[in-house]
Amino acid sequence: MLKKSMWYTILTIASVGFIVLAIGFYQAIIVTTAVNPQPTSKAAVPQTTPNSTKLPSKNANSFKVLLLGDSIAKGTGDENSKGFAGYLPDYFKNSTAKDILVENAGIDGLESIGLLEQLQSQKLDKTLADSDFILISIGGNDVRRILSLNDLAKEDQFKVRLDSYLANIKQTMKSLRKANPNSIVIFLGLYNPYEKANSVEDIRLLNTWNYDTQQLVEQDGKGIFIPTSDLLKFNLGRYISKDGLHPNSAGYQAISNRISKSVETIIAGS
Amino acid sequence: MTLTLYPSQIFGFLRPNGAGKTTTIRMIVGLIKPTEGSVTICGYSVAHDFVKALSNIGCIIESPDMYKYLTGMENLLQFAAMDKTITQQRIKDVVEMMGLQHRINDRASTYSLGMRQRLGIAQAIMSRPKLLILDEPTNGLDPAGMTEFRNLIRKLAYEEGMTVFVSSHLLMEIQQMCDVVSIIKQGSVIKTANVQDILHDDQIEWQLNNPEKAIALLREHWAIEAVHLKKNTISANITQHPLAKINECFIREGLALTYCSAKQSTLEDLFLDLTEGDEIV
Amino acid sequence: MFKLIENEVIKMISKKRLMFVFAILIVLITIFAYGQNQSLARTKAQLSQRMGVTATDDWRKLADQQIIDIKNRLDSPYMDEKSKSSSRVRMEQLQYNLDNNINPLEQSAAKFTTIFMQQAIFLFLPLLIIMLSSDMVSGESSSGTIKLLLVRNVPRWRILLSKYLALLILEVLVVFVSFVLAAIVSGFFFGFGGWFAPVATGFKVLAGQLDSTGVRNVPQWQYSLMVYSLAFFVAFVVGSISFMISVLVKSTASSIGIIMSTLVAGNFISFFLADWKITRYLFMVNLRLTDYLSGSFQPIEGMNMLFSVTVLLGWAIASMIISFVYFTKQDILV
Repeated sequence: MLKKSMWYTILTIASVGFIVLAIGFYQAIIVTTAVNPQPTSKAAVPQTTPNSTKLPSKNANSFKVLLLGDSIAKGTGDENSKGFAGYLPDYFKNSTAKDILVENAGIDGLESIGLLEQLQSQKLDKTLADSDFILISIGGNDVRRILSLNDLAKEDQFKVRLDSYLANIKQTMKSLRKANPNSIVIFLGLYNPYEKANSVEDIRLLNTWNYDTQQLVEQDGKGIFIPTSDLLKFNLGRYISKDGLHPNSAGYQAISNRISKSVETIIAGS
Repeated sequence: MTLTLYPSQIFGFLRPNGAGKTTTIRMIVGLIKPTEGSVTICGYSVAHDFVKALSNIGCIIESPDMYKYLTGMENLLQFAAMDKTITQQRIKDVVEMMGLQHRINDRASTYSLGMRQRLGIAQAIMSRPKLLILDEPTNGLDPAGMTEFRNLIRKLAYEEGMTVFVSSHLLMEIQQMCDVVSIIKQGSVIKTANVQDILHDDQIEWQLNNPEKAIALLREHWAIEAVHLKKNTISANITQHPLAKINECFIREGLALTYCSAKQSTLEDLFLDLTEGDEIV
Repeated sequence: MFKLIENEVIKMISKKRLMFVFAILIVLITIFAYGQNQSLARTKAQLSQRMGVTATDDWRKLADQQIIDIKNRLDSPYMDEKSKSSSRVRMEQLQYNLDNNINPLEQSAAKFTTIFMQQAIFLFLPLLIIMLSSDMVSGESSSGTIKLLLVRNVPRWRILLSKYLALLILEVLVVFVSFVLAAIVSGFFFGFGGWFAPVATGFKVLAGQLDSTGVRNVPQWQYSLMVYSLAFFVAFVVGSISFMISVLVKSTASSIGIIMSTLVAGNFISFFLADWKITRYLFMVNLRLTDYLSGSFQPIEGMNMLFSVTVLLGWAIASMIISFVYFTKQDILV
């Protein structure tokens, strides 16, 4: 009668299990479909008013630089917590006597779609209109998601990602130009922060990404693409921070230096 | 086609092979839906009152299929669970009746065909059906198995009072097992009769040393025309004359009688007559 | 009815199929856990090589840094309300790790148990269920025992229903046993803890995009429960469909073949999902329900948890109807 007792055990497990699983199923449905109570009161607070300390005029005695995009624009990884916001003015000062004002709107983990939404929300329009230089660093987080995939899926996913990325950038540039048709847009290229983990194939993908980005950015007469991969390629140990992804203080300085050299004449001439 | 069956009777259903006999049986037990007409068992229609109709039936359709991975007893318990009227005692009785008590806890895959046949009958009669339907029951049984099987069936019919419905294309089987036989041809019953009535034992064969003298004696005393069959064998139809007297006369006349037998006319002869020999295998 | 279900379950036990399924589970879970263990060691080695030993051992510092980062982000006036909630959730997780001294690089039995089912839900689990369900009716047809069942004084629909309910019981059992086995086997590799660590969930799809506004943390045990419940739902659906095929087809082998190839084909078809709208109504591409929990899916216009559950439920109900209609009407010729 072993089978008989097995049957009763199974029946007990099944009945209890069924109830538990039914509860779990209900929870799963609720969690993924129910509308969560939004902290609407928070959203209503106007948090995006541009810095009022800024000079209202555009061509007075100051340069305004707006940092847009992901953690690199924001300066994450710098052990001195300065990033571009800290170093760019230092380098720009060599070429001009004007004040350099930096507005840091970088957000950690931002993807191209996030940047587009940020611009389309028009909260930044006033800041944008005031800026002489707009530094954009974006795309790293778009790419990072597909790194862990196997080669075949990667190739597929890469195309999908690149296409949507390029479409987002196109739109971003459009709404940026709507707010400010005259500023110089400095677009940072992607670099490879990993020493060994990458294959020839990965490097090809990275280059494709950068190349397509450059094509798009420089269609705009006042856009400039600043590559970073060449700068960091042999200097990973020197320029990459402890988190293995972002530039460190020295890295930010090196890139800032390169940027300032590229736009030196514009700064000096204006 | 109408068949009338009586309690405690073994009924033979004889039909040429491949002429839809199995289909008929399957319609009776509800495995196949008849395209037209209906089947009624003990007053209940199989189509409309399936449960009540089937309560009166036990059956084996063709080979006695069993769950080979279960033991004999587990097999019976499976089927017993489907009918509330079957008690533990009944299962035990049936097992003993079928003579399976020694092997009932072995796996069915280890059973011989004869044992599986008996297990099949056991599951069919557990619910004390009024009607036991056996389709080709002795397929694949050896002669000893067949004899055993016949005895079982007789026991069920005469001791348990069941009506047994045996369908077969084996003439010998029907002849040896059944009380009543129906012969079917092209969808209709062409003859239903008691097996005993069909078979006469009036054809006699003798083996003796002087066949010519014996033939002469028969013609002289009883006016019987005998036939000289083989070297020492003669055959004659003696109808109402007593065989004992004839034999006594032979011996008195000094003939050395070695063997004497009554040769039965068989169901086969009848069947061939009735169906004009066609379709039979 | 109860007796009939008992019959079916006892048959299943005696056929050893159930034991076979459990044996496969043990072997696979062990291999999977071992693999996870190996790749964990490799990841650690890689990380320490790239970022120095301190970074992997000194995870607390890193976590502290990340929390400060996130706090800064949350304070940033340019942050969307949308991305704020996921940042908040991330911060909670880091804080929990710090408070409970859990190195996020380490695996735990709870994590593994959940990941195992998330990986198994679209192919491996259905496969196990198919092994049980595809034999339930066609097995009786091919052995001829179906005749014995159908000449009882029990209507056919009850016979089939008892088989279906027995299958349902076995489905619960398989899901339950895979949970227990995964938890125990991985416990030997990674330790038995981790059931109260927070896990982010609550992703939604709005207008074809992943919406993380509602993201919040639930304890790991609750998350696992939800994953296994969805797994049971998938088991129920796949079970119903292969049960139907088992009714329609007379041989177990072809019944397994049909449903297996359908499942595998589903993996190819998912490539066309974005372009070819009709494919999203196939059951095979809707099996990855757990992805909706973890937010790890490619958002596709019109596909969300409710959609997938509805499609799957539709398939299950249709299969049941077809099974019952066909089974009660069919002629048994075997």
